[in-house]
Amino acid sequence: MTMSETAADTTGGAGVVPPTSLEAAVTTTDHLVVGRAWIASGALFLVVSLLAGLLANLERLDLAGVGLFGSADEFFQFWSAHRVGFVLLAVVPVIVGLATAVVPLQVGATSIVFPRAAALGFWTWLLGAVLTVTGFLIDGGLGTPGSGSQRQAVALTLVGLLMVIGGICVASLCIVTTVAAGRPSGMSLDRVPLFSWTLLVAGTIWLATLPVLAANAVLAYVDLRGRPAVGFGAEDAIWEQLSWAFTHPQVYVFALPLLGIAADVIPVAARRRLPSHNALLVVTGLIGVVGFGAYAQPAFDLSTPVMTQALYVVEAFLAVPLVLLVVGALAGTLRRGAGNLGARPPAPVVLAVLSLLLLVAGTVVGAIRAVSPLDLLDRSTTGAQMTFTMGAALVAAMAGTLWWGDRTMGRVAPQGMGLVGGLLATLGVVLVAVPDTLSGFMGLSDFTGADLAAAGDPGGAVGALNAVAVVGSLLLLLGAVGWIATGVRRMKGAEASPDPWGGHTLEWATGPVEVTSERPLLDAMDEVGA
Amino acid sequence: MAAVTLPPASPTRPRTLVIGSALGTGAVLMFFGALFGLYFSRRADTMAWGSEWFPEGAIQLVPGSMNMATMAVSTVTMAWAVYAVINDDRIHSYLAMFLTAVMGIAMINQTVFYFNDIGLPIDHSEATTFLFVIVGAHMAMVGVGVLWLGLLLLRALGGQDTSRHRDLVSAAALYWYAAVAVYVVIWYGIYIAK
Repeated sequence: MTMSETAADTTGGAGVVPPTSLEAAVTTTDHLVVGRAWIASGALFLVVSLLAGLLANLERLDLAGVGLFGSADEFFQFWSAHRVGFVLLAVVPVIVGLATAVVPLQVGATSIVFPRAAALGFWTWLLGAVLTVTGFLIDGGLGTPGSGSQRQAVALTLVGLLMVIGGICVASLCIVTTVAAGRPSGMSLDRVPLFSWTLLVAGTIWLATLPVLAANAVLAYVDLRGRPAVGFGAEDAIWEQLSWAFTHPQVYVFALPLLGIAADVIPVAARRRLPSHNALLVVTGLIGVVGFGAYAQPAFDLSTPVMTQALYVVEAFLAVPLVLLVVGALAGTLRRGAGNLGARPPAPVVLAVLSLLLLVAGTVVGAIRAVSPLDLLDRSTTGAQMTFTMGAALVAAMAGTLWWGDRTMGRVAPQGMGLVGGLLATLGVVLVAVPDTLSGFMGLSDFTGADLAAAGDPGGAVGALNAVAVVGSLLLLLGAVGWIATGVRRMKGAEASPDPWGGHTLEWATGPVEVTSERPLLDAMDEVGA
Repeated sequence: MAAVTLPPASPTRPRTLVIGSALGTGAVLMFFGALFGLYFSRRADTMAWGSEWFPEGAIQLVPGSMNMATMAVSTVTMAWAVYAVINDDRIHSYLAMFLTAVMGIAMINQTVFYFNDIGLPIDHSEATTFLFVIVGAHMAMVGVGVLWLGLLLLRALGGQDTSRHRDLVSAAALYWYAAVAVYVVIWYGIYIAK
């Protein structure tokens, strides 16, 4: 029997109407286009989430009541919208977009594996993100402490969240499969560039943990749709069940690819090999393992919270030395190649280094927060830890788009403008997270609401620290806008050269290359004595 | 006899479909793992307080066991389908996939019939919320499996499921076995342990 598989006709015969640009954009399966769509959409939702964060921080200036919003419930909706938006609608999607565009090139695949599924993942996420934001805007969100939200709108938000999770999972599946099975001959797993490797680790753990978040959301949705919610769908209980996804240690898993970005950017700029590629593979893998299991925190046993148990505390403390190991290796590489950086190091290198420092701060705050006698679990330190860690991931993503943008968009970006955006964002993260860390020690609750008792000592330093955090939120927003403006300017930029950085890995190859180590292009340069 | 130099073996085709399906199936299993973890934890807490979980006599073992038997038999027909495709046995692969899909539909039909008759509203208690969420999500999982098998049947009729292109059948089998494994936990946790 003959096979019926036939190759698609791509010759565009007579009478075939070429698709409009809109049709082409919607139906494309090109991983570069899909990746750019993820980044652009994530950037827009970043602005939305940062606006919500700015308004929530402004509200905290009036600790004695609720002045800016109509009620504590509305305040909570903006406060939670910022966290959900910052993590699942902004930073993670930008990383997913960068990975969708870059990982197939890095591992030497012809395209992303399952390209239609990758496109489906994006569109599912986008629709879910729109529904989530709409749910928040129409008095929904993820429940409220005073049960003052619209139940139908809360249900809409939960549906949106489920679609967001589904989209990220499908995209992660495509990326992970590309690294696992899309590699050409010679590209063994220990030769995979660190950005792709961290995506393999992080994507696998996203696939293992985000379905747990989906299960929590489904339970809440089904219960909410029942006549009287009996537990999971009670409006004052929804956030408690979902909040683990926006705190330690889950945020480490979301931010893990930042180590890969730094580890791919710094050695190229310093013109030095990493001291031990394999050791970094192991350490970054261990950071992923340490970040696994966050979902056990709130719901499995309310009488003995996991957050006070030994494993949780050990995980919090283990993250610090593991991250320091990676930072140490990269710092050593940077020091050995300092002479090659020139007087003005490239913007992606500066931002990659800053993102590493922010991540170290995030892990240290995470470890301090886990010390039970300090009683910081429900304090503003929780938000500070998320801001440090996810802010680090954001700054690294900015570095990544500046680094790989020439390759993925084919246009040159104004690097100085991108650097300014990244520096503003870094300063913003520091000015939000440091005051929140300190305020946590002074008794400021993670969510104060209109409860003065939860506001720490408004007459003392907390009020001043909250004012600093407002300035930080504003700078973070300005940084994000600057980064977006850099991307827009890039679209009108000059045509980029195929390898502007003298890269070491396959995404910069302009012809066939034999893969003999984790840095095949560097091997080729060494061979010819370049 | 002169020595003959054989051409190098063709590189092994990466089984992207099986790997992707394994990852997707793993994600689905984590979804159910979370539901089961919460279910057993809340059940233990409730019973530790001396309260009842499901009302006495509300959950019947017979419908659950019938579904379990149906799903168990479907693992045999699914394995038969994979074996037939590997051996290019077109007729047997049609038959095995068709039977597996029919058993999936039968399982969904039995579950819908039973839950229409069960007399427990979804908002009766936390236990019934879990019951409807877990069983409903599993029905959706089986439904996806049935659709997948339908797609495979269409492809097989078009001559595309052969021993050289067996990954889609292997991937579907992996997913189907996971659906059966999930039902084993449902059968024990809900219908037997109640």
